[in-house]
Amino acid sequence: MSQLVGTDLRRASAGDQRIVAGHVRAEHRRRRLAGAGRHLILGLVTFVLVAPFYYVVLASLKNGTEIFSYPPKLLPIPPYLGNYHKLLFETGFPRWMFNTLLVAGSVTAIKVVIDSMAGYALAKLDLTGKRAIFLAMLILLMVPLGALIVPLWAMASALGITNTYLALILPPLANPLGVFLMRQFILGLPNDLENAGRLDGLSEFAIYRKIVLPLIKPGLVVLAVIIFTDQFMSFIWPLIATSSDNLQVLTVGVAALRSHGGADYGLWSAAAVMSLVPIGLFFFALQRQFLARSLAGALKQ
Amino acid sequence: MSATRGPDGGSDATPEAGSSRFAIEILGVQKHYGKVLALRGVDLDIEPGEFIVLLGPSGCGKSTLLKIIAGLEDPTDGEVYIGGRLANYLRPGDRDVAMVFQNYALYPHMTVRDNLGFPLKMRHRAKDDVKRQVEAAASLLQLTTELDKYPDELSGGQRQRVALGRAIVREPLAFLMDEPLSNLDALLRVQMRSELLRLHKRVGRTTIYVTHDQVEAMTMADRVVVMRDGLIQQVGRPGEVYRRPANRFVATFVGSPPMNMLEGALRTVDGSRRFEGPAGLDFPEAARLDLPDGELTVGIRPEGLTVVGPSDPAGVAAQVELVETVGADAYLTATVGAGATVTIRVEAETSPGEGEQIHIRVAPGAARLFDAAGDRLPLPGERG
Repeated sequence: MSQLVGTDLRRASAGDQRIVAGHVRAEHRRRRLAGAGRHLILGLVTFVLVAPFYYVVLASLKNGTEIFSYPPKLLPIPPYLGNYHKLLFETGFPRWMFNTLLVAGSVTAIKVVIDSMAGYALAKLDLTGKRAIFLAMLILLMVPLGALIVPLWAMASALGITNTYLALILPPLANPLGVFLMRQFILGLPNDLENAGRLDGLSEFAIYRKIVLPLIKPGLVVLAVIIFTDQFMSFIWPLIATSSDNLQVLTVGVAALRSHGGADYGLWSAAAVMSLVPIGLFFFALQRQFLARSLAGALKQ
Repeated sequence: MSATRGPDGGSDATPEAGSSRFAIEILGVQKHYGKVLALRGVDLDIEPGEFIVLLGPSGCGKSTLLKIIAGLEDPTDGEVYIGGRLANYLRPGDRDVAMVFQNYALYPHMTVRDNLGFPLKMRHRAKDDVKRQVEAAASLLQLTTELDKYPDELSGGQRQRVALGRAIVREPLAFLMDEPLSNLDALLRVQMRSELLRLHKRVGRTTIYVTHDQVEAMTMADRVVVMRDGLIQQVGRPGEVYRRPANRFVATFVGSPPMNMLEGALRTVDGSRRFEGPAGLDFPEAARLDLPDGELTVGIRPEGLTVVGPSDPAGVAAQVELVETVGADAYLTATVGAGATVTIRVEAETSPGEGEQIHIRVAPGAARLFDAAGDRLPLPGERG
């Protein structure tokens, strides 16, 4: 439309020019409106997503009376840091954080290694009973955690590991989801890559370590994120498996804040905000690793 | 149908370690996948420096044989000797062979330099050594400017050259190539074919090359090994395989368009012998055959049939159905007698037109004879 206008305008009479100019203005207005509409929708969605989060951050920076004052203050100036002080120095929060990071970190590190190795074996090696193992894993994936809690506790108790870090770290390692994910990822790698490695003199382990691992890096990162967040948020099992205060993880500790000192919304909010910090850092650290060199160069398309 | 040995293949060499004159020897190799017989007893001796092409249709076992030599598959039975050493129980990396894969199989997470150097690094060669070797290979293959690129930044031809380079740097006893050119487009394939040959002449290593492309086989091979259904059909120089195919399968598989196969019978009439083919097509050598009368098949290459004038006493009438012109040549598809179809090569300039009635005869020495089992019977006065 506007292109057409540009060429014809000079030859048109004054009256025509006014009409054309009117059309141009209408067109501009229409586009501006459409743009504004789009931004309004985006703004609304963003608001819905961010508001609760902002409310929690806000609450963590207010004292007990400010939280319930009406109208609510949208900017806590000066911010009240008492909640954080109380959380860090008067509760077990630092210990819970340490426990959570230790457990989630160990589980993630161990699982990424064994899942990728098991995945490689199931995807590529010539094993007898490979299908049976894989099938058993798929079936295990369908059993809900609730059905496992009691037998799991009985086993942990029989092993005498209740109330130890082992009780928190060992059972999640058996989750077959990671093996399944890794197997699917590794199945996608061409066999000739491993064969090339074999002719280059690599052992099976070296093929896994030097060829397979670098190529499934995005998969490993996805797996690490899934396992870490899963562990970070797991509640039921840590609650059951441990009773000692020293072994409480974040979820259990924060939930227990309720039973102490009444309804301290400021403190709870501060705990919620602080709990988000490590997982946020974890995501940012791994973000770049999602990208790996494509397989395109290995093979003819 | 027996596996035919090549001219040098009548091996009585005993396979003692290091004492063999052959680079690679394959003795009675069989491979079964469950009930499927991929290889049914293969014997082959390969001389040092030879360029051997394994040729056959898909599923003939040629790739399986290559994988067994490489050590990527274990033979169900039989022995493989590499450099005079029994290799059956050696790991692929210890066999002193390098392989070029059909789809290149470059390590995508490594630069060209690392891809080339990787096999050496894995063998714990000194760093300077690796660097020198990699650069030598890169300059040989015109990859010097691509050394720091990743495989996904290279063209198909360049990837192919990196795959070759990765084999070359190892300086192995033998190169194994599994249809290395099949993923390139037609023009590049022809170019890489001559590049490969030039490279072979310079490097001079024993090469086993698998292909189903007979043009590659005929142009590149010192000796062609024609395979079918897990058995070697014939081993010989390309010209030999073309001119003296061991059996019907080789005769029709090698050569394009394939050899004309005419069913007929040898008869003795009034004391003179003649071949009674479609519409009385005969060949002069038939009279001198030392064979009992009976059913026979005569094979004639398209260039072994000539168009003659109607007055030629040996000429047989044929009807031209189709004319396909390929550059200077034209191939006529013509019917002779009742239902027999033959292909005739003529010069494109003097080619008869479609629908025309012509007379053809068998050129002297052009006929090949096959018995009922499909094996070729040697003819007196056969042109080599």
